[in-house]
Amino acid sequence: MPQALAIEHLRFRYPGAQRDVLAIDHLTLAPGEQALLTGTSGRGKSTLLYLIAGLIEPDAGRVLVHDQDIHALRGHKRDEFRGRAIGMIFQTFNLLQGFTAAENVMLAMMFSPLPRAEHRPRAHDLLRHLGVDRPDAPPEELSIGQQQRVAVARAVACKPDLVLADEPTASLDPDNALGAMELIQNACRESGAALLCVSHDPAMADRFDRRASLDELSTQAAGEAH
Amino acid sequence: MAITDFTIIRRSLTSRLFSTVTTALTVAIAVGLLLVLLSMMDAGKQAFRRGSGDMHLLVTKEPSALVSVLNGIFYANAPAAPLTAAEVERISADPRVAAAIPTQQGDSYKGMPVMATAAAFFTDFAPTVGQPWALAQGRAFDKPFEVVFGARAAQESGVRLGDTIYLTHGRSDADQNAHVHFDFAYAVVGILAPTGSAHDRAVFTDLTSAWTIHAHDRRERDNPDAETTPDDITDADRLVTGVYVRAATRPGAQAATALAPLAYQLRKEGFMVAEPAKEIDKLFTIVGNINTIFLAMAAVVMVSSAVSIMVALYNSMEQRRRQIAVLRVLGASRARVFGLILTESALLGLLGALAGVALALLGAQLTAGILKARLGILVTPAYPPEWILLVIVTAVALAALAGIVPAIAAYRTSVARNLRPAA
Repeated sequence: MPQALAIEHLRFRYPGAQRDVLAIDHLTLAPGEQALLTGTSGRGKSTLLYLIAGLIEPDAGRVLVHDQDIHALRGHKRDEFRGRAIGMIFQTFNLLQGFTAAENVMLAMMFSPLPRAEHRPRAHDLLRHLGVDRPDAPPEELSIGQQQRVAVARAVACKPDLVLADEPTASLDPDNALGAMELIQNACRESGAALLCVSHDPAMADRFDRRASLDELSTQAAGEAH
Repeated sequence: MAITDFTIIRRSLTSRLFSTVTTALTVAIAVGLLLVLLSMMDAGKQAFRRGSGDMHLLVTKEPSALVSVLNGIFYANAPAAPLTAAEVERISADPRVAAAIPTQQGDSYKGMPVMATAAAFFTDFAPTVGQPWALAQGRAFDKPFEVVFGARAAQESGVRLGDTIYLTHGRSDADQNAHVHFDFAYAVVGILAPTGSAHDRAVFTDLTSAWTIHAHDRRERDNPDAETTPDDITDADRLVTGVYVRAATRPGAQAATALAPLAYQLRKEGFMVAEPAKEIDKLFTIVGNINTIFLAMAAVVMVSSAVSIMVALYNSMEQRRRQIAVLRVLGASRARVFGLILTESALLGLLGALAGVALALLGAQLTAGILKARLGILVTPAYPPEWILLVIVTAVALAALAGIVPAIAAYRTSVARNLRPAA
């Protein structure tokens, strides 16, 4: 069974920068595995997620998602692959205004091979399962907690191999943050997706069997920094 | 129902309703203006095309062909140089001539031109090709001192069947010394159905009456108490100002081939020979320049409406970068995002164009209604479907073109940069 995620000798530096912001030689996630990635802010956590999602180009190395080198895919093929294989959850949720909660979930499906007739029932099932009471309300009318659930539903809507969560609980208070993380982890578990979650919240550490700090991973960069 | 690209476009348009409506309205006004201008240009052309009807040649003694047509068919001014009865006979005797209808102008009634002619004017000549004269009321004149009114002439003067009227010598009513032929009463015997041509403004009578008045004017100079009847007409009175000529055409043969030698022959004999259709085309080449300016103005308005689409969409890109970034994360390609914006732009153009067509039709109906109610003029506003289609296609194409700049902005939107929480 292929790994959900395999990173090999990844290097990235911002244009004009003197040194690599990211230098990860090896990182893998088994299918369904959940890992927490910590690191101080500005350390390149979000950048790593965008690299994995194929939204920015590395200077060197490979990112394999379900054995597919995402940066080897060009143009619409990479976009299609990302839509199918990767779900993303953001700190600010990035739900689209002008669309209902269910439609936000269906937007994720419209770029996938899922039969169109299944989009709406599947979105409603998913939202009900995740505890969204008003799937036909616009997100801005929902509570923050409910919006978070919609964002989670959207991330797992296409049964991805990998879910990337970027500080998903940073805008919640500590009590709600733990509940939200539990929700994300359960949703990933149920849909069979591996989860790579970046967070600087130490309270989340206990919820993950696998933890890594970006500083430890980025040996070379850290070495250069010293 | 699943979400489609069209759902996204529709939501985008409705979420910025004010911008959408104002932008579409800009296009609508441009399209409406263009259609109205096109229709006005065509209405003018049609009005001139009518009138000469199925006549092939207009034979006069006027100084220029165009002037002879404007005077002889469109009643611009009374033609001055007359043809004699002998000349008319010579023209109609030519075997290539199927019909030669003498016409004589010079008198007027309440400012409306009087056309004295033969009965053949109503039988051998049709003011519009394929549409012969029709009477709304009464009958055609069949003896001297009977008049038949054109539709608008009747409406404007308010005459009714059986009325008695007196004609004025010359065209101008404004002239205080205008000479009214009070000695000769005319009976109104018929009112014509509208033809949509200049003939609607004319009053028709027979040549004998006109010649009798001329004879009377001549005799009055010698004897102020003279009484004149048609019997007093001499050859000197039998003058006409123009002859409508229809050439004889063999079945299946083109009239044009018969016309050239006939026209050549008549010119050689000293007549001014005009082919009305050609003269009108010449006129429109002159007027065409003005039309081109009008059209250019309408085109500028169209282009500026396209620019307003571009500006509206480009401004909206600021708010939409996050939406585009999210769609890209969800699996939308750059090309698809480009297509979304381009389609949205074209759709704005289509909406505007449809509204513009509606505006133009409504405006035309309204104008026609007002014209009919206030002036009693029957105007049928015409927008041929192919024009409407052409204008809509042009508007959509321009709008799509205008969408390219914002679509490129969408294409180049950085996903990573626009997903971050707002600072």
